[in-house]
Amino acid sequence: MKITPTISTPAQPKVEIAELVSEEEVNPWPATGLRRLWLIGFAVLLLAAFALSLILGSVNIPPGDVLTVLLGGTPGRSTWTDIVLKFRLPKALTAMLAGAGLSVSGLQMQTLFSNPLADPFVLGISSGASLGVALVVLSAGAVGLSSLSFLAGLSLLGNIGIVAASSLGSALTLVLVLFVSQRVQSAVTLLILGIMFGYVTGAIVSILLYFSLADRIQAYVAWGFGSFGGVTWSQLQIFAPVIISGLVISYLLIKWLNVLLLGDNYARSLGLELKQARFWIVLSTALLAGSVTAFCGPIGFLGIAVPHLCRALLRSSDHRILMPGVILVGAIVALLADIVAQLPGSGVILPINAVMALLGAPIVSWVILRQRNLKAAFGR
Amino acid sequence: MRNNSTNPRRFWSLLLLSLLCPTLLLACGDPTATIVPATSSLSTTSATTTTVPPTTGIAAPTTTTVATSTVVPATATPIPTTTAASSISTNLTDGCVTNYDPNTDYFPQKATLKYANGFKVEYFKNYKVITVLTPWRDAKETFQYVLVQCGTPAPKGFDKALSLNVPSKSLISMSTTYLPYLDNLGLLDKLVGVDSAQYVSNPTVKKLVADKKVAEVGNGAKVNVEKVLDLKPDLIMTYGLGDPQNDAHPKLLEAGLKVVLNGDYMDSTPLGRAEWGKFLALFFNREGQAQKQFDEVATRYETLASKARVATPKPTVLANAAYKGTWYMPGGNSYSGKTLVDAGGAYYWADDKSSGSLPLTFEAVFDKASQADIWLYQDYAGSLEDIKAADERYSSFAAFKNNKIYNNDLKVNENGGNDIYESGVANPDVVLADLVKIFHPELAADHQFVYYRLLAPKK
Repeated sequence: MKITPTISTPAQPKVEIAELVSEEEVNPWPATGLRRLWLIGFAVLLLAAFALSLILGSVNIPPGDVLTVLLGGTPGRSTWTDIVLKFRLPKALTAMLAGAGLSVSGLQMQTLFSNPLADPFVLGISSGASLGVALVVLSAGAVGLSSLSFLAGLSLLGNIGIVAASSLGSALTLVLVLFVSQRVQSAVTLLILGIMFGYVTGAIVSILLYFSLADRIQAYVAWGFGSFGGVTWSQLQIFAPVIISGLVISYLLIKWLNVLLLGDNYARSLGLELKQARFWIVLSTALLAGSVTAFCGPIGFLGIAVPHLCRALLRSSDHRILMPGVILVGAIVALLADIVAQLPGSGVILPINAVMALLGAPIVSWVILRQRNLKAAFGR
Repeated sequence: MRNNSTNPRRFWSLLLLSLLCPTLLLACGDPTATIVPATSSLSTTSATTTTVPPTTGIAAPTTTTVATSTVVPATATPIPTTTAASSISTNLTDGCVTNYDPNTDYFPQKATLKYANGFKVEYFKNYKVITVLTPWRDAKETFQYVLVQCGTPAPKGFDKALSLNVPSKSLISMSTTYLPYLDNLGLLDKLVGVDSAQYVSNPTVKKLVADKKVAEVGNGAKVNVEKVLDLKPDLIMTYGLGDPQNDAHPKLLEAGLKVVLNGDYMDSTPLGRAEWGKFLALFFNREGQAQKQFDEVATRYETLASKARVATPKPTVLANAAYKGTWYMPGGNSYSGKTLVDAGGAYYWADDKSSGSLPLTFEAVFDKASQADIWLYQDYAGSLEDIKAADERYSSFAAFKNNKIYNNDLKVNENGGNDIYESGVANPDVVLADLVKIFHPELAADHQFVYYRLLAPKK
């Protein structure tokens, strides 16, 4: 027997969802000013990290010259103008946007599935993207350069081609996932289907790799390392608006996310349309995670670790505080990892995924271990 | 409380099972040990008439091996007849000896190595010993092969080496770099298998595969051992990576086949790598012919290089391209790096000591080399527009603005196999001529581009 939940009707006063999830219930700190201080601290740290990422790099440029270039003057060496404006500035912006985007989508996935291990790629978005890229990169050698094959043509476009293929892969995955999400009842089913889809695409990619030339495999693996340095200004003109719109959508979903913390049934009883909420959450996640994967390659770690870091530092699971926190901390972590990966002064570069995990995992583990009850963060 | 009758029975059956499992595993054989012919300290036999003195004791670590049979059954019983030393004037490139004479030097034509440092060959009256010193990067072992003239008895004392009869009558080649030498020596009729025909450029070989006279057997971990056994090759020549998971030779050796490791890719000089043609020729007793062909190549190379190295002005050279922020630049001591210097280019990283690639940041390369005169792109690109589309920052390079970007894809087969990695290895003088034509056109005015082309704007 199905119990119809109380749906807000004109006769009843509409329950203000925000009032139910009061700060006191999920926040042990009565003084809210302390958390605002944290956020301001994060913002300052972000500015510092941004400045540092412009100053530090594989080529040694004195900070004074960096400032000169930013203000439009001429630095000591002519190549430095191009380096700061065409290489470091877009890279720093990309890192911030990617870090924020991935962290927010990770946060949403963790709330939607009530699972601390969920990350933005749990719906198979990164798998769809990697399949698109694999089809393009690994087929590059299979047709002559003068051929009109669509896939080979995409690969000849280089960066743009890979971005297009990756977006296409993510978009198709998104459509599939949205279609399924409207038809399954529980979020767990959606989760498992996403994982299964990931397996299938992973298998197809393996088969493609098996039959490929060594240098094409290297190109594909190099894509898998992830990098913020490949995004140019013209690509940022697409990347930045997409990420910002994804962040805006996520920001508007804060109320619903808070309600979802209380569990599906309670949420329904408060008038939340689960299917609608799921639709928008999945859409914004796919938009954020898919575009980051398209432009930067698959970047792991941020989506799963930064929300936990924020929950522990801010002692809250209220999305009104967590969302801005996660955006700031995500940007900071991405910037710092990129600085370290550049190995300033050495001219050699490390893959960003490796650096992020190496530095971040111990820090996050330490922070988590200090927290007493992780489950409470999910409202249980 | 203890259960009555089931407990002791369960206990003993569990015990039996736990004892059986490891014994079964052991009986199935240890999967990690690979059968690898290791070195042996050379016990020198009679070698008074040879021109190459044998070395004593090659220091090499022993590896765990299963000894392969060293006594090669002779096709005809050797009958020492006359006491007078008979001599032959050329190596026997066909058939076996019928009247074995222990005083005859069966290899009057000998290979001497000048550039290749990855292998050594020592001659004895009726057998040759080849030692491959650098089969792969950071190899801890060397490989020794005893090539016994067919029809003569096998020497004793080479238990750890792989012994085979020469001249070989059939061959499976697991790399396209061996095919040009087979063609030049007229040995393509001995080819019975290749790893894959997809990236082969040699037209004769492609026709042989299409006519089903040469089979495709796969490579690396994917090698089709049954197919190889079915072909019954006298010899399989392959390269090794030192990675048991991805190397084909451990599996093939285990199956009892004669597999030799060719380490040509480890040689970092163009002439050194080309000299490995002699390695291949040794197995067919054609080292005399190979020596002559290589000498011509080396002479042409050295003549041109000596002129190019001192020609002025030297153009500054940049190579390869960035991929997602990382630029894999050839090291100064690498095969590509050395070729650039030999062709008379001022390569920015010529002083670097590494023989592989350097993963540099795009930024660092831009800082150092954005004003390079010549850019050898060496990646997938049809025209200048493709380069700009790959990354708009490439258009800031001087070579882009001056239309001086070259790509090495003039000879690419329909599947993307680039001939520069096939015949280009055997003919480094042609590759050099292409590069000299780019750097110092006046020195190679009569030469037409074979592998390189100037990238033009798309029509």
